[in-house]
Parts: sequence; structure tokens; C-alpha cells
Amino acid sequence: MEGSIMEAGRYVGAGLAMLGAAGAGIGVGLSALGALTGMARNPDTYGNLLSSMILGIAFSEAIAIYCLVISFLMLFKVV
Amino acid sequence: MEALGINLGFLIVQIIAFTILFLTLNAWIYKPMLDMMETRKQKIAQGLEDARVAAEARANAEKEAAKIIAEAQAEASKVIRDATERAESAGKEVKAAAEAEAAKAREAALAEVELERARILGELRGQVASLAVAAANKLVGEALDEKKQRALLDEFFSGVKAGKVVVVEGEFQGEAAEVTSALPLTGEEQEAVKKSFKAKEVTFKVNPSILGGLVVKIGDKVLDGSVAGKLEGLRHSLK
Amino acid sequence: MEQVKRRPWRRWVLLGLLIVGYILGGRFVPVQPEITVAPEKLIEEPLFTLPVIGDFYLVNTMPTLILTVILLLIFAYAVNRSLKKSAQTDLVPRGIGNATEAILEVIYNMTEGAAGKWVRTVFPWFATIMIYVLFANLLKLLPGFESIGVLHHVAPGHEGHAKELLAGKWYLFTAEEGEYILAPFFRGISVDLNFTFTLALIAVVAIQVVGFRAQGWGYLTKFFNFGGVFKKPVFGVIDMFMGILELISEFAKILSFAFRLFGNMFAGIVLVSVFGALLGKISIVPAAIYMFELFVGIIQAFVFGILTMVFMSMATQGHGGEEHAGH
Repeated sequence: MEGSIMEAGRYVGAGLAMLGAAGAGIGVGLSALGALTGMARNPDTYGNLLSSMILGIAFSEAIAIYCLVISFLMLFKVV
Repeated sequence: MEALGINLGFLIVQIIAFTILFLTLNAWIYKPMLDMMETRKQKIAQGLEDARVAAEARANAEKEAAKIIAEAQAEASKVIRDATERAESAGKEVKAAAEAEAAKAREAALAEVELERARILGELRGQVASLAVAAANKLVGEALDEKKQRALLDEFFSGVKAGKVVVVEGEFQGEAAEVTSALPLTGEEQEAVKKSFKAKEVTFKVNPSILGGLVVKIGDKVLDGSVAGKLEGLRHSLK
Repeated sequence: MEQVKRRPWRRWVLLGLLIVGYILGGRFVPVQPEITVAPEKLIEEPLFTLPVIGDFYLVNTMPTLILTVILLLIFAYAVNRSLKKSAQTDLVPRGIGNATEAILEVIYNMTEGAAGKWVRTVFPWFATIMIYVLFANLLKLLPGFESIGVLHHVAPGHEGHAKELLAGKWYLFTAEEGEYILAPFFRGISVDLNFTFTLALIAVVAIQVVGFRAQGWGYLTKFFNFGGVFKKPVFGVIDMFMGILELISEFAKILSFAFRLFGNMFAGIVLVSVFGALLGKISIVPAAIYMFELFVGIIQAFVFGILTMVFMSMATQGHGGEEHAGH
């Protein structure tokens, strides 16, 4: 019984940890928005904006990846 | 780590695999590809350079051609101008010759006309003399015999009497003399005139308006022995 | 649209495939496989044991790794031959050499724009990581991956499935509960944390190496920035903490590189298997997810490569100029 509660807690915790991905999603969307606006206004800067955008997306996505890592840690009892 | 499946052995195997791939791809793809890109870039640059040189050469050639054309045009215009000038001068010569010819023809025609006129007047002279004699006979009767009358009339018209010029006096020296009479002189009279003026050349002219006698022009001297001149002098003195 | 009009039989083929999928889904009920983060062991016992490293098992990413490497070597050989042939004749690439060059030239120009004169150093890392991850991600989508394998007895406390004889030694899973789980022969290597972690480690180490080659020992001032502490007390201390944050972010880079690729690919197989099991006969939904997976696989390969490239070119450019500009 105690083990089951522990297991339930792990699953719930893993799911809750992934809430952080919402922020990453908003961040990725904002980066793409900014880059696309820039590209639309000045198509010549396409190459520069693309690499900068991917860099920014990577940084904001890293937050979601931390969430994923925490979620894995909970699920698979790594720590 | 067990649940995530991370294992040091697997990591090492993966690293070995990546190293193999990295070295192989580097040697088999990137190096030849980048070298080829470099070669191609150089070739393209070379081609562009060649094209530039060729374009320059073409521009030079065009300039040269333009120069040659300009020279040729200048040459051509010069030739044309020369030809025009020559043609003009030739035309002028031709024109001058033609004019001279025309003047000569006109002179000849004038001389002929003069001759004709002299001939006609000479023919008239006999008739005029006959008419004058006949009229005088009617007026003065048979006072004068016909021979005398003729001599008088001849003298009147020609100013020459018995082989001597009577109307003008004095010594005449000159190269050429021009003798004008009212009616053409006969050959004897002309001889007499020539004799009395010791001139080399004597030309004879006919001008009926002097009525009678002779007008002689020698050098810059004019001797008026004409009837008209006498009448004029008479009228002058009567005024 | 015009293409479809010219070849209308394509539509009929699609429809036929859907119907066949529906019938087969009725006969062979899709079973949700056991989803594990770790690669499954094909043989339960370790192959050999090394003194320091420990037990070495034959897991199902090993065959895939060998397959991927062999395919890549064949690809590289073919490209090499094509390039050599064109280099000898007229420098005009043809066939596979041309296709590879067209893609790599785009990458090369991108690298040149970011890295400048270090392009020759940075480009092979970018290209190798991209090609490798691309092959790994696309191989994962081949039919047979994750679905054909050996049966194992289920570990206690886990769900298993019953088996049904198909022919000879081949069995088929049934929907009923049983005592067997599947260990597929092939599992995509990008759904293996060993692969992604290896790539992340190599990429981050290579970034540091390139940074050292470009700036010498001066590269270390990026992390240990004590010079400003005495000159400008306030900003110097801030710079110092920024340097320590940079150092931490280098380690975070390993984690984010590894888990970005793994997370995307793992989500792909989970989606496909879960939807396949839930919807059963309607095979069009997993097919759509497959198409999405294709897209994600290409994007992730590109992102992994371009991030490595950008970090590397940032490491080659000194941080001294930034300091002057910042204050």
C-alpha cells in the first residue's frame, strides 16, 4: 500500500514536472514570432535571423529539457 | 543510470563509432568536396578574369576601330573636297574658255556685221551721190558738170581730194590710227589716207552720224575733220 | 494537384493500402509494446565483463549502430567515388555527389557566415553530426524497427502479453495478458541515451578544443574572469559570476544536447506505438505521425548540427571585444 502511494506520487510528480514545458513552448513561439517579423520586414537578414532564432529556441527549449530530465529522474527512480 | 540505460561501455562504443565516421567522412567527403569547391571557385574567378581581359581587349579593339573609321572618314571627306575643288576649277576653266570662245564668236559676228554694214553703206553711197547730184542739178541747173560734182561729193564724204587728206591738217606720228568716215571709203581713198598718215596700221570705221569728212584718232589725239564737227563748231560760234 | 491528376493511380494505391491496413489490423491486433527508456537486451546474460567498465550486454541499439555506420560508410564511399570522378573530368558533380554537395554547400555557407576564417575547422563537426543524426533519425522510421525481435519472460511486476504461434519459430503477440515481452532486434540509435549523450559530450568537448585552438589560454578567461574584480569592483564581481554561470552552462549544454534529441525521438516512438495500439484498425493516424516524425527527425538533425556550429564559432570569437562593448 505504501509502495503504491509512492508509485502514484512518482507518476504525478513526473507529470507535474512537465508543466514547465508550457513556459518553453511560449518562449519558442515568441522567438519564432520575433524572427519571422524581422524576416518579413527585412528578408535580407534571413540567414542571420535563422541561426539566431534557432539558438534562442534552443535556449528556451533547454528549460523544457530540464523538466524532462527531472521527470525521468522521478519516473525511473534514478536518484 | 541503469533505468536510463546509460552504460560506460556503450558510451565508449558510440565514441568509437563517431570517431570512425568523423575521420571517414572528413577524408572521403569533406576534403575532396571542399577542394573541388575551391578549385571550382578559382576556375570561376579565372574565367571571370579571362572574360574581363577579353572585354577589355574588345573595348580596345572597338576604340581602335572607331579611330580607324574616323580617320577613314576624314580621308574620304578630304578626297571629296579635293575632287570638288578640282571639279570647280576645271568647270571655271571650261567656263572661261567657253566665255572666251563666245566673246570671240561675238566679235567675229560683230566684225561681220560691220563689214556687211560697210558694204551696204558703200552700195548706198553711189545712189546717195546720184540722188544728191540729181537734186543739186534741179536746184542749181546744169552749172556743174557731173564729174566735178562727183569729185566734190567724194571729197565731202571722204575728206580726201586728189590722193590727199584735206579735212585734217598737221603732222601725225603714231603706231595706230583709227579713221572714221560717214560712208565706207574706197580702196584708193584708203590708200591715200594711209599714205598721208605715216602710221603703221590704219583701221577704218564707218559712222554715218558724222555726215561727212573724217575723224582721225591717233594715239591719244583726236582730229575732228567731220562735217558734223564743223556744223557743231559753227553752231557754237553762232551762239 | 497536377501531379495527382497526371497519375491518378496513386490515390487508388493509397486507398488500397488503407483498406489492407484495416483488414490486417482486424486480424493482427496491434499490441502496445513495453516502452522503456533504456535499450532492451537481446540476450539476458552479459556478453563479457571488463574490469573497470563492467558488464557489456548485447542491446538492440548495437545492431542498429553497426547498420548505421556501415550504411554511412557505403554512402561516404559512393560520394567519394562520384566526387573523384567529377574532379578528374570537369569539376561538375553528378548523381549522389551532386546531391550531397548541394546540401553541404548550404551548410558550408552558413558556417562561413558564422565562423569566418575558422570555417574549415568548424564545418566537419557540423556536417558529421548532422549527417550522422539524420541517418540515425531516418533509419528509425524503417518498418521492422521496434516491431520484430526476440521474446523474453517478463520481469515480475510488469505487464506482459501472451504469444500465439505464427509459423515455425515465429510467434505473434496477442492482446491477452501473458508472460512475454518483446525485445526488438533493431531500435533507433537516437532513441538511446548512450548515442545522444556521446554526441553531446563530443560536441561540447570539441567546442572547448576549438576555443582553445582559437584563443589559446585566453579562452579560460571566459569562465574565470577575475581580472575585473580589482579594477572595477561592482562590475568585476558581476563579470566573475557571469563567468561561473558560463562554466555551468557548458555542462548544461551536454544535458540539453542529449535530452533534446532523445526527448524528441522518444516522444516519436511513444506516440506511434500508443496511437497504434489505441486506434487499432485505423492506420491513417500512425501514418500521419510517421510523417511528422520524418519532419522532426530532419529538423532535430539540423538543430543539433547548427547549435554545435554556433557554439563553436562563438568559442572562436574572443570575449574581449564584448567586454569593451558592454561597458
